Amino acid sequence: MEEKYSGEALAGGGRLGPVDVPSARLTRYIILLCFTKFLKALGLFESYNLLKVVHLVQFIFIVKLGSAFFMVLFQKPFSSGKSITKHQWIRIVKHAVGGCIISLLWFFGLTLCGPLRTLLLFEHSDIVVVSLLSVLFTSSGGGPAKTRGAAFFIIAVICLLLFDNDDLMAKIAEHPEGHHDSALTHILYTIIAFLGVADHKGGVLLLALALCCKVGFHTVSRKLSVDVGGAKRLQALSHLVSVLLLCPWVIVLSLTTESKVESWSALIMPFITVIFFVVILDFYVESICSVKMEASKCARYGSFLIFISALLFGNFWTHPITDQLRAMNKPAHQESTEHVLSGGVVVSAIFFILSANILSSPSRKGQKGTLIGYSPEGIPLYNFMGDALQHSSQSLPRFIKESLKQILEEYDSRQIFYFLCLNLAFTFVELFYGVWTNSLGLISDGFHMLFDCSALVMGLFAALMTRWKATRIFSYGYGRVEILSGFINGLFLMVIAFFVFVESVARLVYPPDIDTNMLTQVSVGGLIVNLVGICAFSHAHSHGASRGGCHSHDHSHSHHGHSHGHGHSHSDHGHGHSHGSSGGGMNTNMRGVFLHVLADTLGSVGVIISTIFIQQFGWLIADPLCSLFIATLIFLSVIPLIKDACQVLLLRVPPEHERDLHIALEKIQKIDGVISYRDPHFWCHSASVVAGTIHVQVMSEVLEQRIVQQVTAILKDVGVNNLTVQVEKEAYFQHMSGLSTGFHDILAMTQQMESMKYYKDGTYIM
Amino acid sequence: MLPLSIKDDEYKPPKFNLLHKVSGWFRSILSDKTSRNLFFFLCLNLSFAFVELLYGIWSNSLGLISDSFHMFFDCTALLAGLAASVISKWRSNDAFSYGYVRAEVLAGFVNGLFLIFTAFFIFSEGVERALEPPDVHHERLLPVSILGFLVNLIGIFVFQHGGHGHSHGSGHEHSHSLFNGHAHSHDSKHEHEHSHDHSHGHGHSHSQDYCHGKCLYLETNSHTDRKILCVFLHIVADTLGSVGVIISALLMQNYGLMIADPICSMLIALLIGVSVVPLLRKSIGILMQRTPPSLENALPPCYQRVQQLQGVYSLHDPHFWTLCTDVYIGTLKLFVAPDADAKWILSQTHNIFTQVCTL
Repeated sequence: MEEKYSGEALAGGGRLGPVDVPSARLTRYIILLCFTKFLKALGLFESYNLLKVVHLVQFIFIVKLGSAFFMVLFQKPFSSGKSITKHQWIRIVKHAVGGCIISLLWFFGLTLCGPLRTLLLFEHSDIVVVSLLSVLFTSSGGGPAKTRGAAFFIIAVICLLLFDNDDLMAKIAEHPEGHHDSALTHILYTIIAFLGVADHKGGVLLLALALCCKVGFHTVSRKLSVDVGGAKRLQALSHLVSVLLLCPWVIVLSLTTESKVESWSALIMPFITVIFFVVILDFYVESICSVKMEASKCARYGSFLIFISALLFGNFWTHPITDQLRAMNKPAHQESTEHVLSGGVVVSAIFFILSANILSSPSRKGQKGTLIGYSPEGIPLYNFMGDALQHSSQSLPRFIKESLKQILEEYDSRQIFYFLCLNLAFTFVELFYGVWTNSLGLISDGFHMLFDCSALVMGLFAALMTRWKATRIFSYGYGRVEILSGFINGLFLMVIAFFVFVESVARLVYPPDIDTNMLTQVSVGGLIVNLVGICAFSHAHSHGASRGGCHSHDHSHSHHGHSHGHGHSHSDHGHGHSHGSSGGGMNTNMRGVFLHVLADTLGSVGVIISTIFIQQFGWLIADPLCSLFIATLIFLSVIPLIKDACQVLLLRVPPEHERDLHIALEKIQKIDGVISYRDPHFWCHSASVVAGTIHVQVMSEVLEQRIVQQVTAILKDVGVNNLTVQVEKEAYFQHMSGLSTGFHDILAMTQQMESMKYYKDGTYIM
Repeated sequence: MLPLSIKDDEYKPPKFNLLHKVSGWFRSILSDKTSRNLFFFLCLNLSFAFVELLYGIWSNSLGLISDSFHMFFDCTALLAGLAASVISKWRSNDAFSYGYVRAEVLAGFVNGLFLIFTAFFIFSEGVERALEPPDVHHERLLPVSILGFLVNLIGIFVFQHGGHGHSHGSGHEHSHSLFNGHAHSHDSKHEHEHSHDHSHGHGHSHSQDYCHGKCLYLETNSHTDRKILCVFLHIVADTLGSVGVIISALLMQNYGLMIADPICSMLIALLIGVSVVPLLRKSIGILMQRTPPSLENALPPCYQRVQQLQGVYSLHDPHFWTLCTDVYIGTLKLFVAPDADAKWILSQTHNIFTQVCTL
């Protein structure tokens, strides 16, 4: 989209567009960036290993020392450039202190939650964080897309906090007050412990804090870097100063505590890699890329690449193959399972990538219009035209709000929606509880419920779609959707019933041992939820009668009578009653949903009954018998629904209008001037639309208008509300034969019943 | 499977006995090539399922029993196709004024739905297995999978031939069987796969995974270029499925990479899903009485021409839809001037649309 946009600007505005480097030249930088980010991830993983043996402050000291050495070597901050005033030196010292604190936080977070999480949390570019904060704390965040990005970011952080089962958590919790090397670490530990979060989560929070600090720090130091004469020079000086600052601390530390390092010489190589990869290379490449490419693009690619490589490393770092490749860290080897990948991390990585993408994309529309570029004189050009005013991507909250409004408008969809919410809530409670207690049965049941919800979602969607206006393509409207949805629901239930049947037959032969602990509570909960649903839908049913459908009462009657006869749940009783009083039928969609809920209810009832049997009498066979019975019941109750839906889909004459239509056709025959009629087609398009076409042959002297009016009136009385009449006279056939291509058509006309090729029916109305 | 019984007994009291009826059905099944093939495959499949069931009961093997039930389930798709091919031949009557030709669209829809269900189940099982790869008996898997691949190739050639026959064969009568052709090839391959399954004994759960992979052969539109593309895609999908099985068998045998099996089955499920979606979309379009996609662009010029006819004021409520394959039905209303020659307009309009539609 980015390329497209700038390309359009170039094509449209000629020289006025932004200075855009062709993508072929950009790829070099992208590859460079990619490589650097990969190496940076590698370096961070390496430094995590180093931090296990080296003390935090020592580590930072060595890193700063090394990078100061190299940068002073490269930049020569003293010999080149203008001299630095005393005031500037003070600011550089402040900068160095800030940098030290941030890197302390950063590496402490690294020790707490591992390199993968650190990379995910900390490696966000400034643009992303700034736009995130502006969305969160200012009103003019930059439109719905940014809000979405911020939401993604927050979700990702929450995922890391809550759904990440990190193994190290337990390990550290074993020795909460173990060896803490320094006062600083101890203070941080106590703070985290005071806040009452686990160490790993504390690390996440710490890193988030450090990230914010880093961004603020970068923003503040920007002016200083301009004053000093370039970010690189500032960086070199700051590293140098921080080395000097850290020096006394390190000396005190190394005097008071005994080192865990056996040989410092073995650590030289890893330290050099860390210094190069994490600090120097990343710094230089980032600065080059942000000059050559746009900062937003750079941020987007950079964060994407580093997250991907972090995930890769996280997966393969502890793999046996990579262990052989690595030169050092034999001691770190035994804890190869710590900070492994987990589902939460993967999800949060995906969300981080998404949010980085969204947040770093330049905001197109602002209050001032879109910046297209700069004129040759250097004046910024803004675009106030159409697309700046009406944004193409619809805001998600607004979309949700609108569809919610639509849903709540109609009774049917409202019922389904409320029940869906209830169901989903129950499911999520179940899932959460399952995750909490680590019970596999609950989790799988929760997923099963989620799957069941799909039927409800389909019903809801169908109920919404039914109300769509007819389009050019779907000329009859979307009313059929609800029949199709009912049909699919019915088929689905049949398949489920079939599989339950098969499984229960298999279990009849070998009744398995069932663990009935959790089952009862869950199924009672499910039963309650479903009973609420049944009540709601049966209520809907008695209301829905007023709408009147083209579905036969007798079918639905047979179904209700059926389930009633088995006396399965009391709400069925009420159902039957309301039905009897109203005498209407609900539409196919609602029937499908209702049946689905009914099936679920029966399932829970069956589970409860069989649990009682098993617990009281030890009849293991009760379970398969119950499910057999229920499967049969579901199967039988679905058949009428499917039959009805099939009849509608096969364009049957609506059964409840059948007799009336016959009478009406006889009446048409008796109209003055009508010779005969042919091809009467009537079908139910959806619950409310009955379509029909008819050809009427009349005497040549009668008026067409009168015939059309009479026929329409007669058929409208019967309930056909979408009628097309073709009035044919003797002359019509003569015309047809008179036309050049007429012969075949005449043939077709006369044999129309055999080859129903193309009908053309025209109505003449006044 | 499909409860397609009609309730028009009050108009047509049954005068002939059941035997007569059944023999009539048989004759109608055997008269057409497609439905005959379908019927034979159904018989084979059913008999095989029964043999399996009986053998399973006799040898008390749960796997065989459940597998035979699986096969019964598979038969339902076939049965739906067969029922549709019989039903679509029925004469139209008072209740079903357009006849039963739509049954085949419905059968295609049901088949597609079932395939989607199957793909979903395979996929979820694949995910489950990818998390915990079970121990698969892979000794005989390789020869069986190669055999399956060969069978698949043969099936492709045979049915492609048949498919061409359909498309080239005259007009609509043959292409009526479009949606059933799909079902029937579906089952032929099932049958083969299941026989392998049997021979290799108990790995039913495994071969279950890939037996669905090849069960697809969709014939699509009458538009030749698109059709060729579609057929090609399906051939690729089919062969890819069985090649995937062979590769996974090799990987399992030689390197012990047990994860190859679930990944392969997930891929196959995706393939099934991807190839079924167009069929489903098309049949849903037909069932919802959508304006046929082939006419979509041709119709607006026609409306213009009709409106330019002398005496026509305006045009209303144009409804064009597909009854079944290649049979389009259209209705529209015209406002005409009081003194216009209605008969002439009518015939002209008729002519305009007929010409367009035969293009």
